[in-house]
This record gives sequence, structure tokens and C-alpha cells, in this order.
Amino acid sequence: MKNVIQKEKVFNHSIDKVWNAISKAEEISSWFIQADFKAEVGYEYTFTSKEEGCVPITGTVKQADPYTLVYTWVVQDTDTETTVKWELQELEGKTKLYLEHSGIANYPAESAVEMFESFNGGWDNCVSLLAGYLTEEVHAG
Amino acid sequence: MQDKITRVLKAIADPTRREIFHALVVASAAMPITQISGQFQISRQGVTKHLRTLEDAGLIHINSKGRERYCFADAEPLKEVNHWLKFYERFWDDSLNNLGTYLDQPS
Repeated sequence: MKNVIQKEKVFNHSIDKVWNAISKAEEISSWFIQADFKAEVGYEYTFTSKEEGCVPITGTVKQADPYTLVYTWVVQDTDTETTVKWELQELEGKTKLYLEHSGIANYPAESAVEMFESFNGGWDNCVSLLAGYLTEEVHAG
Repeated sequence: MQDKITRVLKAIADPTRREIFHALVVASAAMPITQISGQFQISRQGVTKHLRTLEDAGLIHINSKGRERYCFADAEPLKEVNHWLKFYERFWDDSLNNLGTYLDQPS
């Protein structure tokens, strides 16, 4: 059992291209979530969507120097703060991405089910990639 | 209530407590504390301390019957911790796949 999620992935692209994709608002908006974002320490960002009923994610940028990006991750209307960290490393012309999402144990246990429902109601419109998973989860009971 | 998952994680961070909890899950019945201490080579006092931590996390419940106290396991709090982790595991896997697809697009 752990409190941290860690992911590693290698992309066949230059480190600057990957850095731009994770740190520039218009790029984040095209592959991830509609973003009001600046890679500047102290910037209070919002990940949201034009769709109705979506739960935005907010947070503060804690570190933003190539090639490390750290921001807090708060699901709006909850007071649980988690942290997302992106680290890029050059690897013979490729780029290794290390992602760490920590503090997940801070979520109050009893809100888990509630959150799933709110994600199902709103987020499947907002972040289409979640839809399939959430449907699975709901049917799994 | 914010601390609930933290308590669960703390409770299962210790290998002896994990073993005690596991023994209770396997037994799938209430076990008297004396029997639990008998299975582990630690003092009854030590076992009691571990049991209290597990009880605080909601992972076991303790009932008194006569002079003996009986413990039984409750795995429910673990499922809730797992929900969150599972949710975000999948979320980030999918997001990073999206990022890969995005980067591979001809610009």
C-alpha cells in the first residue's frame, strides 16, 4: 500500500518539445485538460472545461524550471491538497518523463465513493479518457 | 476524518501489524488476544499495542466476552484507500498515453 503514484515513460521527442507540452497552457489544453496555466512559481492555475458540471482542478505552481515542474493538485470544493511533479531527463535524443503524484492518502476515505460519482457525472464530459474507466468502475460496483 | 486513510496507511506500514492483520483475515473469525499473542513471538503488551493501532484505523474490531477480548478483521478501509490509488493510476496512465499521441502528431 502506498501514498504515491509514480510513472515513467520515454517519448521519442526532444526534451524541449515534451517540456512545452506539459508546461504551456495551449498545449496542456490539447492533450490533457482545458488549462489556465503558467509555468511560473506562485501561479494559481485552473484546469477546467467548457462543459457544464465539470469539477475543476486548481493549485499553485511550486517549481517550474526546465525540466522540473511541480504543482499542487486540489479538486475544487475539497480541501485535500495533493502534489504532482513532472521531471524530464534527456536520453540519447529521447526524453524520459518521470511523473509523481503524492499525498493521495490525504483524501478522506469516505469521500472516495462520492468523488467517483461526481467524476462520473461531470468529468466524463470534461476528460473523455476517464469515461470508459469510470463506467467500468460503476458497473463493477 | 481527514486522517482516516493516513491512519490506515500507518497501521499497515509495520510488518508485524500486517502479519497480525493477515492472520485475522485468514482466520475469518474472531480470535482471542491470547491466541494472537501465542502466534507471534512478542509480548501480549506488544500485541495489544499493535491491535490498538489497527483498531484506530478501523482494520480490526475488538469485542470483550467475559475475561477474554476477541479481535476480528475488517478489510473495508483498505478498499477505500485502493479506490483512490486505482483511480489516479488509471488516470495518469491514460493521460500519459494521450501525451504520447499528442507528441507523435505531425506538427
